[in-house]
Amino acid sequence: MSAPIATTPRLAGLASWISTAARLVLGAVFLIAGGLKVIDPQSSVAAVRAYRLLPSSLANVVGWGLPFAEIALGLLLLTGIATRVVAAASAILLVIFIAAVASAAARGLSIDCGCFGGGGDVAPGQTAYGLEILRDIGLLLLAVWLVWKPRSRFTLDRFSSAQYETRELP
Amino acid sequence: MSSTKNLNARERARLAADQAAARKRDQRILLSVVAAFVVVVVAGGILFQGWRTSRSPSATPSASASASPVAITNGRPIPLGSAAAPVTITLYEDFHCPHCGQFEEQFGPTITQAQESGAARVELYPMSFIDEGSVTAANAMACAAEAGFGQAYYLGLFANQNLQWSDPQLIELASKVGGSPSETFKTCVNRRAHADWVTSINAAADTNGVQQTPTMLINGKEVDIATLTPDSLKAMITDAAQK
Repeated sequence: MSAPIATTPRLAGLASWISTAARLVLGAVFLIAGGLKVIDPQSSVAAVRAYRLLPSSLANVVGWGLPFAEIALGLLLLTGIATRVVAAASAILLVIFIAAVASAAARGLSIDCGCFGGGGDVAPGQTAYGLEILRDIGLLLLAVWLVWKPRSRFTLDRFSSAQYETRELP
Repeated sequence: MSSTKNLNARERARLAADQAAARKRDQRILLSVVAAFVVVVVAGGILFQGWRTSRSPSATPSASASASPVAITNGRPIPLGSAAAPVTITLYEDFHCPHCGQFEEQFGPTITQAQESGAARVELYPMSFIDEGSVTAANAMACAAEAGFGQAYYLGLFANQNLQWSDPQLIELASKVGGSPSETFKTCVNRRAHADWVTSINAAADTNGVQQTPTMLINGKEVDIATLTPDSLKAMITDAAQK
């Protein structure tokens, strides 16, 4: 005999598919963004420096480390390991990105966000802060959705969604 | 009957509690593993990039190092190529500017070819606004031009753009591109002999209204790099030579 201790809500069916899509999109974007930056550490540091927010030595560490953080988060999202926690970390990172781009815009800097490699100063009038922030807000929404509903299909994640899991007693 | 049922219920509750505890423990382990994974990847990445930017220059571009020594004058660019060439290509670049690296990759061969065929000469303004490496590289570029291997050194700086450009790296690059790192050159690099000139180049670029790097002018006329292709650049150089 067996009895479920919790049942799967019917809506979770649809939600889990939305979560799957959100997880894959967010993971792919992070992996690509990190991958494009990791190949050129000097550019990556230059992109960080262009924000004029960090002292020189810290800009080096962030320029070198951030692409790897993005790759790590991207891989975790794509495999679906600990989705809720990873999505929360992604959301924090995206909020920092949005704040950095907004601060560059507010200070009247003319820079490329360097989100997918490149970066640095551009000619006045060649900035795309609105689009960059909009894209990051879109990604932030995906991350927040995943924090709310981490359960999705095709994952290695067995733990982050315990409240929905149907466990059978022996 | 009823006592068996009670036992069953208690048994079930105990099992459920055990399971919940096990799940919690699993979750803790998983989170530790995930956090450790991220830390290891990021820390390893920082160390790896640190190594990549501080190693010796490796890429050696093929370039004629035959240019004769040139004089370095404050506010004046470095001339590279034959003084008799009909076309002058003016370049404003920072050796650490990512777009300059891409520009060099895409158009460098076309420009070098025009220099070698005597069709064009380059007037180089090595700007330095990105970081400390921009400054040391611009200074070393002046040292190399003074020593007579400016052209090869210029290509070498861009071919190894990933490096941070410490003094030893800049001196090693000289031997890599076929120049002779003489004592004069080493001293020139180590002492930042052309520090004033480097500053004067930034000021000159400012005066000339340069807003971004790379900026390219052909016979004094600014070229829109965004729409440029190697072929259209070649055509522009040919055109300019005929005027």
